[in-house]
Amino acid sequence: MQSRVGGQNESNRKRLQKQSFHQDVCVKDGIRPERNTGVEERLVGSDGPGTKTGIFLRCRSVLNRIRGASVAGTLHPKWPTLSEHPSSPSASPRSSSPSGSIGSSGSLCSSSPSEGIGSSGVSSSGEPRGPSPQLDVISEDAMEMDLGGQQVIDPEVALKACQEVLLKVKLLDNRPGQDDQPPPAEAPERSSPQWLLNPDTSSIKEEDEDEEEGHRQAPAPPQDRLSLPQSASSSSSKQSWLLRLFESKLFDVSMAISYLYKSKEPGVQAYIGNRLFSFPDGEVDFYLPQLLNMYVHMDTEVGDSIRPYLIHRCRGSITFSLLSAWLLGAYSSDMHISTQRHSRGTKLRKLILSDDLKPPAHPSDPPRSVPPSVSDSPVSSPAHRRCHRRHNSNNVDAGPAPDGPDQGEVFASPSRRTHQRSKSEATLASGGPSASLRRTGSNPKVEAMHEEPERLRPQREFVKSLFCIGKRLATLPTKEQKTQRLISELSLLNHKLPARVWLPTAERQHHVCRLPPTQGVVLNSKDKAPYIIYIEVLECHSFETSPVPVRIPETRIHSSRSEESLDSGATANANSIITSEHRAGSFSTVPNYDNDDEAWATDDIGQLQVEMEGQTSSSDNISQFSVDSITSLESKEPVFIAAGDIRRRLSENLAHPPTSFKWDPEDPSAVALKEPWEEKVRRIREASPYGHLPNWKLQSVIVKCGDDLRQELLAYQVLKQLQSIWQQERVPLWIKPYKILVMSSDSGMIEPVLNAVSLHQVKKQSQLSLLDYFLQEHGSFTTEAFLTAQRNFVQSCAGYSLICYLLQVKDRHNGNILLDSEGHIIHIDFGFILSSSPKNLGFETSAFKLTSEFVDVMGGLDGDMFIYYKMLMLQGLIAARKHMEKVLQIVEIMQQGSHLPCFHGSSTIRGLKERFHMSLTEEQLQVLVEQLVDGSMRSITTKLYDSFQYVTNGIM
Amino acid sequence: MSQVEKKAGLLRRTSSSKKPLKEKVVLMYDEIFAKEDPAKNNPRFWDELFLMKVNLEYLESKLESIDGEDVQCIQDNINSLFHHCVQALGEEHQIKVVNALQTLCALFRGVHQKNKSASGFDIINMLMGFDKAEQRMKDLMESLDSLLCGDGSESLKSLCLKLLLCLVTVTDNISQNTILEYVMINSIFEAILQILSDSSSRGQHGYDAVVLLALLVNYRKYESVNPYIVKLSIVDDEPTLDGMGMVVHQALTEYNRQYKDKEEEHQGGFFSALTSMVGSMFIADADEKLSVQTNEAILLALYEAVHLNRNFITVLAQSHPEIDIVPAPPTPTPTTPTTPLGTTPPSLDVINNPELPLDPNLQTSNLLITFLKYASIVMQDTKDEHRLNSARLCLIILTCIAEDQYADAFLHDDNMNFRVTLHRMPMRHRKKAVGKNIPSRPLVCAVLDLMVEFVVTHMMKDFPFDLYLRCVQIIHKLLCYQKKCRIRLHYTWRELWSALINLLKFLMSNETSLLSKHNIFHLALLIVNLFNMFITYGDTFLPTSNSYDELYYEIVRMHQVFDNLYCMVLRVSTNAGQWKEAASKVTHALVNIRAIINHFNPKIESYAAVNHISQLSEEQVLEVVRSNYDTLTLKLQDGLDQFERYSEQPKEAAFFKELVRSISLNVRKNVSLNTLSQDVLLKEFSTIS
Repeated sequence: MQSRVGGQNESNRKRLQKQSFHQDVCVKDGIRPERNTGVEERLVGSDGPGTKTGIFLRCRSVLNRIRGASVAGTLHPKWPTLSEHPSSPSASPRSSSPSGSIGSSGSLCSSSPSEGIGSSGVSSSGEPRGPSPQLDVISEDAMEMDLGGQQVIDPEVALKACQEVLLKVKLLDNRPGQDDQPPPAEAPERSSPQWLLNPDTSSIKEEDEDEEEGHRQAPAPPQDRLSLPQSASSSSSKQSWLLRLFESKLFDVSMAISYLYKSKEPGVQAYIGNRLFSFPDGEVDFYLPQLLNMYVHMDTEVGDSIRPYLIHRCRGSITFSLLSAWLLGAYSSDMHISTQRHSRGTKLRKLILSDDLKPPAHPSDPPRSVPPSVSDSPVSSPAHRRCHRRHNSNNVDAGPAPDGPDQGEVFASPSRRTHQRSKSEATLASGGPSASLRRTGSNPKVEAMHEEPERLRPQREFVKSLFCIGKRLATLPTKEQKTQRLISELSLLNHKLPARVWLPTAERQHHVCRLPPTQGVVLNSKDKAPYIIYIEVLECHSFETSPVPVRIPETRIHSSRSEESLDSGATANANSIITSEHRAGSFSTVPNYDNDDEAWATDDIGQLQVEMEGQTSSSDNISQFSVDSITSLESKEPVFIAAGDIRRRLSENLAHPPTSFKWDPEDPSAVALKEPWEEKVRRIREASPYGHLPNWKLQSVIVKCGDDLRQELLAYQVLKQLQSIWQQERVPLWIKPYKILVMSSDSGMIEPVLNAVSLHQVKKQSQLSLLDYFLQEHGSFTTEAFLTAQRNFVQSCAGYSLICYLLQVKDRHNGNILLDSEGHIIHIDFGFILSSSPKNLGFETSAFKLTSEFVDVMGGLDGDMFIYYKMLMLQGLIAARKHMEKVLQIVEIMQQGSHLPCFHGSSTIRGLKERFHMSLTEEQLQVLVEQLVDGSMRSITTKLYDSFQYVTNGIM
Repeated sequence: MSQVEKKAGLLRRTSSSKKPLKEKVVLMYDEIFAKEDPAKNNPRFWDELFLMKVNLEYLESKLESIDGEDVQCIQDNINSLFHHCVQALGEEHQIKVVNALQTLCALFRGVHQKNKSASGFDIINMLMGFDKAEQRMKDLMESLDSLLCGDGSESLKSLCLKLLLCLVTVTDNISQNTILEYVMINSIFEAILQILSDSSSRGQHGYDAVVLLALLVNYRKYESVNPYIVKLSIVDDEPTLDGMGMVVHQALTEYNRQYKDKEEEHQGGFFSALTSMVGSMFIADADEKLSVQTNEAILLALYEAVHLNRNFITVLAQSHPEIDIVPAPPTPTPTTPTTPLGTTPPSLDVINNPELPLDPNLQTSNLLITFLKYASIVMQDTKDEHRLNSARLCLIILTCIAEDQYADAFLHDDNMNFRVTLHRMPMRHRKKAVGKNIPSRPLVCAVLDLMVEFVVTHMMKDFPFDLYLRCVQIIHKLLCYQKKCRIRLHYTWRELWSALINLLKFLMSNETSLLSKHNIFHLALLIVNLFNMFITYGDTFLPTSNSYDELYYEIVRMHQVFDNLYCMVLRVSTNAGQWKEAASKVTHALVNIRAIINHFNPKIESYAAVNHISQLSEEQVLEVVRSNYDTLTLKLQDGLDQFERYSEQPKEAAFFKELVRSISLNVRKNVSLNTLSQDVLLKEFSTIS
C-alpha cells in the first residue's frame, strides 16, 4: 500500500511537473527535469489517471493565482536551492537537534547525489490528498468556532499565526513544486491541522479576514508569497527544510517538543502547536509535564501555541483535564506567590477546574476554541450522559411519589442508596401485610431533580479524601494505629463507591467500585504517612460515558456464603485437599459462590424469603441438630487414626519454607507486599461483592501526602525514555519505571511495583544474605529458576546502575531498593537525583550502588554473569548515548522555572550531558565502565552509608 | 443527669400552680368528661383546646378516676377527643401539634392505667370506638409518619417518638397491647429507618428510634407474623444499618466510659476498689441503674439486628475512630443536594470533616470491640438480675456472631488487628491485669479471652450454668470455623485448656449440688468434645507443632481430673437414673483422652525411673510425648465439628418475654419523665409563631 501510494504520488508529481514545466515560463530549472525524468522512468506504469486531474486542477489554479500576482524575479536565484531542500533526503531525524542538524544536513543535501531517492522517500509517507470529506467537516467546525468563540482569543491568534507561517512555508515549498505535489502531501491523513494549508477552503479566508494585522487581509497565498522574500529570504531555506522535517513521518513528539522548546520562531512554535493534534494522544501524554511546564514558565508565544491543543484535549477527556490541572498547579507552585496568582498556568488551571470545558451539551453552545481533531477519541455525547442519569433512577420511578419540595434536602442520599431502599420497600409492599401505609417522605423520586454531578468533581473529591486520610494518619504515633485508622477511613470511603472515579495509573478505562478496607497498609516512613491501598475496579468501555456500576452491599457476598451450612463446608473440606499456602480468611472451600445466579438468588428474591419467614413466623434458621458423635459412633465401625499422623501432618503443614513474611507491627507493609499479587487478587476477589463480575480487576496505588513527587515524575520520564531507547536498540537491560501522578507540589500517587519487597525487608525478615535468599526463593544454583532469577538480577542491576550513574541517584539505602519475585531489583525513591544529595554528607560518592552481596548473586567477580553485567552496561551506555538528546530534552525543559533541588546549581544539564561521554570512543567507554564498576564495588562510602542508615533509621 | 432535676422543678411548678386556680384547660377537660358534647355550645372548642398547654397529670388522673359505668357515657367524648387529637396532628400550627401529641400520650396512658385488667378491645373501644378504630389509627400513624419524615422541628420528631414509645410500653407485656395491632398494619418502620440513616436525625433521635424498633419487633414475636421482624430482616441499606450500629455503639461506649470513670474514682486501694465495685453493683444509685437498664434495650436492639438481619454483621466490623460522635449540628454539611460522589455516605460527618479530633490516644474501634468491652464489664458480676440478663443476652449475641460465616471471616482476619482491653474482675488469686501491653491481634482472640475470663471467674456456688453452656458453645463454634477454614490462630490455647479443665474439676467437686438443678453432663460432654476437637483435628488449626505437644502435656498433667470424671460418669451411667443416658455419652467421649493418659503416663513414669528424676521438667515431659506419638492410636469421633445452631424459639422465648417486659417497664418510666418536660418545646414554638 505504502509503496503504491508513493508511486502514485510520484507519478502525480511527475505529471504535474511536466505540465508546469511547459506552462510556467518563469521557472526554469536546469536540474530538475533530468532528475524527474529519472523518476519518471522508474515509475512508469504505476500511473493511474483517474484522481489526479482534480489535484492537478487545483494546483493549476494555485499556480495561476501565484503567477497572476506577479512573480518577483528576485526569487529566481533561490529556486535551485529551494527546490533541492524539499527533495533532499530528510536528514536522519534521530540526530536532528534543532541547533546543529539543519546546517549540516543542508550541506549534506546539496552534496548528495541521491535526491531522487530522497524525494520518493519523503513523499511516500503521505497519501494523495484530495478534497476529502473529512476536511470539509473540520473546516465547518472551524468556522463555527470562529463565529462563536469570541471570548477566547488566544487559540485563534495561535491558529492564525500558524496558518500564516504554514502558508508562507508552504508556498515557498509549492512554488518550486508547482509541478510538485499539492501541499499537504506528506501529512498523514488524520492530521487535522493540515486543512489549514488548503488554500481552496473558504475557512482560511475567513480566518484571514479576522486577522489583526492589516497587510495580510487579502486572499492569502499570492500575497504571502510576495511578502516572503523580504521577510524571510534568509530563513526561508531553513524553514522549508524544517517543514520537510516536520512533515516527515520521522518527526515525532519528542522532536516536536524539542523544537517547541528551542525554536524562537513564533511560526514554528505555532506550527508545532497545531501539529500536536496529529500525534496520537498517548504519545503526547508522555510529554505532558514538559508541555505544561513550558506553558507555565516560558514566554507567551510558546504558551499560546500549546494552549489550543491543551484546551481541546481537556474538552475531550476528564482524565486529561485533571492531569493537566494537577500538573499546572504543581508547576506553578515554584513561582512567587504574587505572580503565581495571575500566571497563565494558574488561569488555565482555573479554567479547566471551572468545568467550562465541558463538551458542548447543546448545539447552541458552540465549542469555543479548537475544532476537535478527527483523530481524537469520541467525545462523550450528551445523549449518553442522559442515558446514564436515567439508569440511575429508573428503578426508582416505580413508586407513586407525590412528594414535596423538601425531598431534595431530606433525601440527599444518593441515587443508588435510595434505589436500594426503594427496592426493599417494594418487596415489602408486596410481601408484608402491613405495607399499606405509603411512605411519601422517603419515596426516593429525588433522582429526577438530582443534578448530574459536575464533570471533574467526583474524581477530585475522591483524591482529596485520599489525601485527607494521609494527613490524618500522619498525626498518629504508631504504625499500628495508623493502619487501624486507615482501615476505618477506607471503609468509610467505601460508602461512596462505586462512583465515577478512576485510578489514573491504570491502563484501561474503569470505575472504582470498592477499596477493600483491610488491605490498606501504611508504608515505612518516618514522619509522613504514605500508604498503599488496593482498589477494586470494574473495567468499562469509557469511564466518562459508561454507566457507573450499581453498588452491591458488602453483605452480598456474605449472604451467598452463609447459605451453605457449616457441615456442607466441612464435607467439602474433607474431600478437597487444601494447599498449605492457603491463607487465613480465604474461602476456597466454599463451592461456587461466584456463580452469578446462585450468589444473587438469595437476596434478589427477597420476596420469597419474606413469605417463607412469614410462614414460619420466626426468622430463626431451621436448626440443624447434629447427630451426636457418640450415638453415631456406636452404630458404626470405629475408625482409628494414629496420633503420630496428626502430629506429623501438623508439622508438615507448617514445615514449608516461609514464602510469606511474618506480620510485624513495626513494618505492616512487609507482609502485604510480599504476598504474591495473583494470590492477593484471588483472595480479594473472593471476598468482594463485586468479585464475580467478569470485568473486575484489582489495582493498587501508593498515596503520598506531604511529598513532592515532581522529581519522581521526572525520573519516571527519564527511565521510561531510556527503557524505550534500550528496547529500540535491543539491549536487554531491564528497568521498571513506575508511574507517578503529581497532584500538587506536595502530594501525589505512585504506582506500586508488584510482587516486590525492599532489600531491607528481605534482610530483616529472612535474616539471610542476598544470595542465600535467592537460593531459598528460587532453588539451588543449577536450577532453571535460579538461573533465570540471576539473569533477571543482572539485567536489572545493569539497568539501574546506569540509571543511577546518569541521573546521580542518591540515598541508595536498602529500603529504597526493591527485589521482585523474579529476581529483578528495582530502585525506588528518586528524591535525590542530579544535583541534589541527602544532607550533602559526602556519602555515596560512588557512581552507583554495587555491594559485594550483589556481586555474589551475580556469581562473583570472575563469573560469567558479572562479565555479562559489565557488557550490558557498556551496551546500555552506548545506546543511551546515541539518543542522548531525547533524554536531555526531558530534563532540560523541566528545569525551566523550577526550584526543584535536583536542578540546584547551574551545571545540572551540563553534568548530565557529560555523563553520556559523547566524546569517548567505544573502547574508552569500556574502560570507563570498568572504572565505574570497580570504583563502586570498592567504594567505602556505600558501606558507610548503609551503616549510617542502619544506625539512624534502622534500615538493614 | 439533668433530667431528674428538671423533672423535680417541673413537678413543683405544676403542682403549685394547679391548686388555687383552675386552669382553663382543666375546665375544658372537665367539659369533656361531662356527658354533653363539649362542642355543642362552643363550636371552636377543639380548636381552642389544642392551643392550651396540656395538663397531663390532670387528664390522666381524670381518665383513671372514671368508673366503669361512666365509661359508657363519656365514651363518645373521649372518642371525639382522640379524633380531634389525630386531626390536630395535621395542623399547621405546631403548638397544636405538640399539644395534640401530648394529649394522645395522656390518653393512652390514662386509659391503660385505669383498665389494667380490661381487655385490649375495651380499651380500643373506649379510645376510638370499634367502628372507627381502624381509620383513626391509620390516620394517626400516617400523621406520625409524615411528622417523623418531614423536615419539621426536631423536638417535634422527638415528641412523636416519645408518643410511640409511650404507646408501645403502656402494657407490661407488649404482646397484650392490642392497639399495637394497628401499628403493625400501619407500619412506621420506614420512618424509623429514615431517622437512622440520616446522620443528624440519628444523633438526636437515634436512641429512641432503636429502642422503639427493638420493642416493636418483640410484639407477638412468636404468635403471629410481625411485619417489623420481616422488614428488619431484609434491610440491606447500608447507611441505615450503619446508623443503627452507630446508635448502639454510642450507647455502649457511653456505658463503658461511665464504668471506667467510676472505676478510676475508686482506685484508692485495692480493697476499697473491690468493695466499692461490688458495692456499686448493689447500691447503685438511680443513675447507674438507669444506665444499666437502658442498655438492656440497646442490647436487645443489637441482638435483634444481629439475629434477624444478616447484613448487619458487616456493621459490626465497620470500624471508625473511637470518638463520641457528636450529633452533627444542623449545619448544611450532612445533606447537601449535590454530593461529591453522587452518593451520600452515612458518616459524611466523620469523613468529610478534616477537623476530625485527632487524639493519638484514641484507638480505632468498631461496634464489636465496644460490645466485647461492654460484655466484659457486664459479665463481671451476674448476681444482679439485670446484669445476669445482660450477660446472657451478650452471650446470645456472641453465639449468633460466632455462627455467622462472614463475622467469623472478619474475626479471624489477619489484617484486622486490634488491641481490645477487656475488663477483668479483680480476684484474690490474681493481680489485676496490667493491661496496656496487650498485643494487637485478630478480634477472635479477644472473644476467646472473654470466654476464658468468664470460665475462670464464675465458678461459684450460684452457678450460672446456662451462661457456661453458651460460653463453651461459642468456643466450639469458633473452633469449628477455624478447623473448616484451616486458620491457624496464634493464640495461647493453653489458657483455654487449663480453664476448661478447671471447670470440669469444679463440676465434679460440686456434683451433688449442681446435679439437682442442671444437666452437668451435657456441659461436661461439650467440654470434653472441645478437647477431642483439639486432639483429632489439631493438625488443621493449631499454630505450631509444639502446641499439639502442649495439649498432650496439659491433658497428662491434669489426668486426675479426667480420671475422676470418667469414674463419675461411669458410676452414673451404670446406675439407672435420669442422667444415665447423658453420662454414658460422656464416657464415650472420653475414650481418646483416656487413651492418651493411659499411653503416656506409664511412659513418663518409666522415663523418670530410668533417668532417676523425681520431678520431670516440662521440657522432659514434652520430650517423652514427642517420642511416643507413633504407638498411640486414636479413635476418630464423628460430628465433633457439628453443632446445634442457635434458635430463639422455643428455647429462649421465655427469656426474651421477660426481658422485654422489664425493658418495657423501664422505658415507660423514662418516657413519662421526658414527655413532661415540654418547656423547651413550647418555648421553641412560641417564638416561631
